[in-house]
Amino acid sequence: MSPGVDSAMGAAVPTLTRLVRIPLLPRLVRLLPLLVLLVVWKAVTDAHWYPPELLVPPSEVWAALLELIETGELQNHLQVSLHRLGIGMALGCGFGVLFGVVMALSRTVETYTAPLFHVIRQVPSIALIPVLILIFGIGETFKILIVIKAAFFPVALATYTAVQGIPRPFFEVARVYQLPRAVLFRRIVLPATIPPIITGVRLALGRSWGTLVAAELLAAEAGIGQMMEFARQMFRIDVVMVGVLITGLIGFGFDRSFKWLEARLLRWRVR
Amino acid sequence: MSLQSVGFALVLFALSAALPAAAATPKVVRIATVAYFDADKPLFVGRPSIIARQGWLASELSKRGIALQWVPASHTAVGPIINEAFANHSIDFAEYGDLPSIIVNAAGVATRVVVPSGIGLDTYLVVPAGSTAKTIDDLKGKRIAIHRGRPWEVPLLRLLESRGLSYADFKVYNMNPQAAAAALAAGSIDALYTLNDALILEDQHVGKIIWSTRNAPPDWKMRAELWAAKDFIDRYPDITQLVATAYVKAALWSSQSENKDALIKLYTRPGIAEDLTRREYDNGAVPWSERWSPLFDAAVIDHYRHVTDYAVAKKLIRKPLAPDALLEPRFVNAALAQLGLTDYWRPRPVQGAKP
Repeated sequence: MSPGVDSAMGAAVPTLTRLVRIPLLPRLVRLLPLLVLLVVWKAVTDAHWYPPELLVPPSEVWAALLELIETGELQNHLQVSLHRLGIGMALGCGFGVLFGVVMALSRTVETYTAPLFHVIRQVPSIALIPVLILIFGIGETFKILIVIKAAFFPVALATYTAVQGIPRPFFEVARVYQLPRAVLFRRIVLPATIPPIITGVRLALGRSWGTLVAAELLAAEAGIGQMMEFARQMFRIDVVMVGVLITGLIGFGFDRSFKWLEARLLRWRVR
Repeated sequence: MSLQSVGFALVLFALSAALPAAAATPKVVRIATVAYFDADKPLFVGRPSIIARQGWLASELSKRGIALQWVPASHTAVGPIINEAFANHSIDFAEYGDLPSIIVNAAGVATRVVVPSGIGLDTYLVVPAGSTAKTIDDLKGKRIAIHRGRPWEVPLLRLLESRGLSYADFKVYNMNPQAAAAALAAGSIDALYTLNDALILEDQHVGKIIWSTRNAPPDWKMRAELWAAKDFIDRYPDITQLVATAYVKAALWSSQSENKDALIKLYTRPGIAEDLTRREYDNGAVPWSERWSPLFDAAVIDHYRHVTDYAVAKKLIRKPLAPDALLEPRFVNAALAQLGLTDYWRPRPVQGAKP
């Protein structure tokens, strides 16, 4: 990979520059796979290679989407899911940053918590559902806890690594200049740690969204995952496909927004 | 994979899809049924295990050069898996629940009941062990768990209807039986409507059963039958007859009380006590031999009318469906005549009585 391409793709380059560097045509070319997918999907359903009840034509999925929007069903499910995601992400990221900082700064905390931290981190959130229900009941709490768990670990890990990664000489220089604590924090610690933490949050968001939808497939009264699960029971594969599409698009949207945020927050690096 | 080989595969695929299968007999008869998995090995319980033990069907089919294949469907999602397999033409027969069958027929995948499974399965209303609730009326305004869209939702709604109640009178939580069992143990729900896992909950002193379909009218039970793809029936009526006869033979074996102990063993799914199966099937509510009746009697017909009406009323299906057209009794009748069993089982009348 040439250095030019590298910097064009790197997060350190502001968005504006990227827009200028990639001309309109190649940007449209990037939509090509999506278009090809649609065309192949349509062709395969037109050829009746698969039963239309199972591989629903794109037009019917579109009709199902419009129907779900018209009845307000999709909005209801989405609202429930996004509400869970919002609260869970806020709490999970908050705790994650706090815990990551403490674990990085205190050797004692690290010694005592690291084994448990790394063990729980490896357990898929969905495997915890029965335990969570047993402790927290069947209300919203356990679904939000699943999001918190999915968000907490990537953010805690990213924060821990970021704080640990601040080069020692930075602190030494600060001591030499006798920088006040507030300034040290604002001018050195924050700029050095925010970018990796934002990356951690971006990973956490993707993981939480996927986990939440999966948890809703298993145990929920509403939410986009439950909409898909019930549709499968009812043999409404068109509705399942709408769910798949919406889940993918929302996940993609989140990821892109955070990439954009990352790029914006890192503008200072170019200066 | 190279581009050529992809192209070759596509051509082969297109050819195989375009060629009509004009054979007079199929190469294989595929029967899907619920299975429990021990590691990756499927374990079949119930009628398939009897038919496999009798060996008659496999040997009759092999005389005609046809293989018999049991297709496992995981018990966690039997309905959707079998519906998808019927739509995909990857099975010919399946033994599974009433509601998913009606849903798949309403979606345009034609299947027919070939052999009814007997009197059907009981479903149960369970409350926490320490609960003071004695009837469904005591649970008004309380939290009740049900896995929506599964076949046991229909008897619950029948119970509610018979008492002039509806979901609006409760806080209804939709969750699978595993999650609901944890919730019942934690006391975070006040009742659970479920299958025979209710008996396990009672054994573990987690819950107690306050109502079941055991003493309800016969058409209230949850039913699972042997269904066949309509195009298979039309194309291979003789093979369909063989399969139906095998199922009637299995019903005959089941109904003989000397086989009771062996049957209980074959009907016990892994991980539960045999005693539980015994209580479920041999509880004296129905004479043993009648329990396994393969007749298309009034209870079966009325049951399918009711489930279809329910599915339409709850907008689970969008097109109305003629329930009687789903039943295909000719194979059972022929098997009964052939085996000299025409008067062996008595058709059950449908009582109008409410429990």
